Amino acid sequence: MSRIATVAVGCVLAAAFLAGCHKKEEPRTPAAGGGDTVKIAFMGALTGDVAMFGKPTLEGMKMAAEEINAGGGVLGRKIEIVEADNRGDKQEGAALAQKFVSRDNVVAILGDPTTGISKVVAPIAQKAQVVMLSAGATGPGVVEIGDYIFRDTLLDSVAMPALVDYLVKNLKFTRFALVTSDNNDYSFGLSQTFRDAIKGKNVRIVADEKIKDGDKDFSAQVTNIKAMKPDAIFFSGYYTEGALLMKEARKQGIKAPMVGGDGISASTFLELGGDAVEGSIAYLGFSPEQATGETATFVANYKKRTGELPEMFGAQGYDGVKILAAAMKRASSIDPKVFRTALAQTRNFPGVSGTVTIRPNREPVKSPLCVLEVKGGKYVLKTKVPVKMD
Amino acid sequence: MLIDPYIQQILVTIGIGIILAQGLNIITGLTGQLSLGHAAFMSIGAFSGALLTIKAGLPFPLVVLAGGMTAAVAAVLVGWPILRLTGDYLAICTLGFAEIVKVVFLNLDITNRAFGLTVPPPATSVPLPLTVLASALLVSLASQSIRCSRFGRALMAIRDDEIAAAAAGIDVARHKVRAFGVSAFMAGVGGCLYAHVLGYINPSDFGFLKSVDMLAMVVLGGLGSVPGAVLGAAFLGAAPELLRFMASYRMLVYGAMLVALMVFRPDGLLGGINLWDFALRRLGRTSQRTRGEN
Repeated sequence: MSRIATVAVGCVLAAAFLAGCHKKEEPRTPAAGGGDTVKIAFMGALTGDVAMFGKPTLEGMKMAAEEINAGGGVLGRKIEIVEADNRGDKQEGAALAQKFVSRDNVVAILGDPTTGISKVVAPIAQKAQVVMLSAGATGPGVVEIGDYIFRDTLLDSVAMPALVDYLVKNLKFTRFALVTSDNNDYSFGLSQTFRDAIKGKNVRIVADEKIKDGDKDFSAQVTNIKAMKPDAIFFSGYYTEGALLMKEARKQGIKAPMVGGDGISASTFLELGGDAVEGSIAYLGFSPEQATGETATFVANYKKRTGELPEMFGAQGYDGVKILAAAMKRASSIDPKVFRTALAQTRNFPGVSGTVTIRPNREPVKSPLCVLEVKGGKYVLKTKVPVKMD
Repeated sequence: MLIDPYIQQILVTIGIGIILAQGLNIITGLTGQLSLGHAAFMSIGAFSGALLTIKAGLPFPLVVLAGGMTAAVAAVLVGWPILRLTGDYLAICTLGFAEIVKVVFLNLDITNRAFGLTVPPPATSVPLPLTVLASALLVSLASQSIRCSRFGRALMAIRDDEIAAAAAGIDVARHKVRAFGVSAFMAGVGGCLYAHVLGYINPSDFGFLKSVDMLAMVVLGGLGSVPGAVLGAAFLGAAPELLRFMASYRMLVYGAMLVALMVFRPDGLLGGINLWDFALRRLGRTSQRTRGEN
């Protein structure tokens, strides 16, 4: 019995392998050459820990593709979104990237929403001369990988000076407690950006505390913060630790609000934090509130389609496809070797997640910045701060 | 190369898996010492290899060997005290060690803290997939020859009965540390290749789940079996891609397959099967005596 099982499993595996290998014999068409569609790949997670970034990105992409196709497509061709799930795993991301460029012959890869996988995918896209546009990666060292690599998200280095100006001038905050989660690359980077942004301004970091992702007890850090009487706690980490930190802060009687990036903009932050996170301030590249023009149409359509209000990743996925399509139109070509030059010259593109300009170094500048405040257990748009476009 | 890049990438994933699984198989399969922290040795190999490429630009074969050696040295240093423990205690200890390594890399400036390292392509003209597959083959052959050597038989004796092995004149502590070193060397080599294949590493890549992945390969293939480790790594490396057509049901089916395999083959795919013996029997040339000894 056991031997039969082994042989059976072996046969299944062998058959599966052969089936998998068989496809490679198909003749390869050069990128952008074959078919009458333009293929854009979605790179991201649809299952696993980071699926909440990937799923809305894909929804946004599909919406944009359907709209463009309804209007006649790009240069007479329909846009086809090639989707696959990388589970947030680097090795799967690499395998998928190879599949997209060598089998599906996509002209562009949109994704990954996270910096880590973007850095693994980018060299593969660069080598295959396929455009990669990350809708979400904010960390350093992504577009530096090559001249086919772009991103369309609001970078912290662009947003932070505008945010700090707003905090100092409008909210009169000058004394900050800075809390960093030092095993989280996002947090580490954001804290550094904050330090850079306050240089030369009348702002002081009165307490500089470190925590770790996964910590539950923040009483020591909060005690230190309390002694320094800050105007606000700038927290660069994620929602779980942020909410627990604020609970401890309120317990110890600190009245100062928490300020943070998109890491503390999540429903978990509100659920875990309850009353303690009232008044917390988060900044984002996108808010569905007070939408005007095209953004209002996008918000309504997205809601109709998914039953939920869009957030940043949905809007950026949507913009990503539109930015790529616009570049192809300007270049009159769907060949990535040609339209990447047009993509690099994107100026004041009216996206639903803000106006996008791509600088000569392929880094985006976006305006405005949305400042959200927690009020009554919900994120409410406090204001939109314009970002200087240069 | 003639094979398309997608298949190449999957083969590379499998190749790295094989190297890691062979490494873990030596200490957990042959010697019977459960390690839940092998991702730590993988990360030591990955970071030391990456740094040698970035800072020193050494030739790639040297980088890979150095990555393995660094991991082996770390294993001998940490193995000396902790291998005196057995069973659950050892498992917890290796788990703790893996966490320590992760935290150290997260706080060192030279490893770029939580940002991780971007690894440039290695200084070699041999294509990476070829290097990985050749290394996997070499490591598997080395593993098999260790298994058949006096040293390997001593390890299996320790696994089966430590007291009896000691009574037979085997220096148990010494053998365990040596096995741990060899095992970590392979993990380090695998980690070093991983770093250069992906081009970007982060301390968080080498968490507990990575150790469990390795253990799953070894257990699935059959503890102690060298071809089993190859099969386990191939299965776990290829299944997620082969099941891709199932879209969102993919991981569900993948999990169900693992459960089914463990139910029907609790000893792993090749556990308790001697391939050579099996082949001979098929050819009808089995000698009754060798079978009797097994």
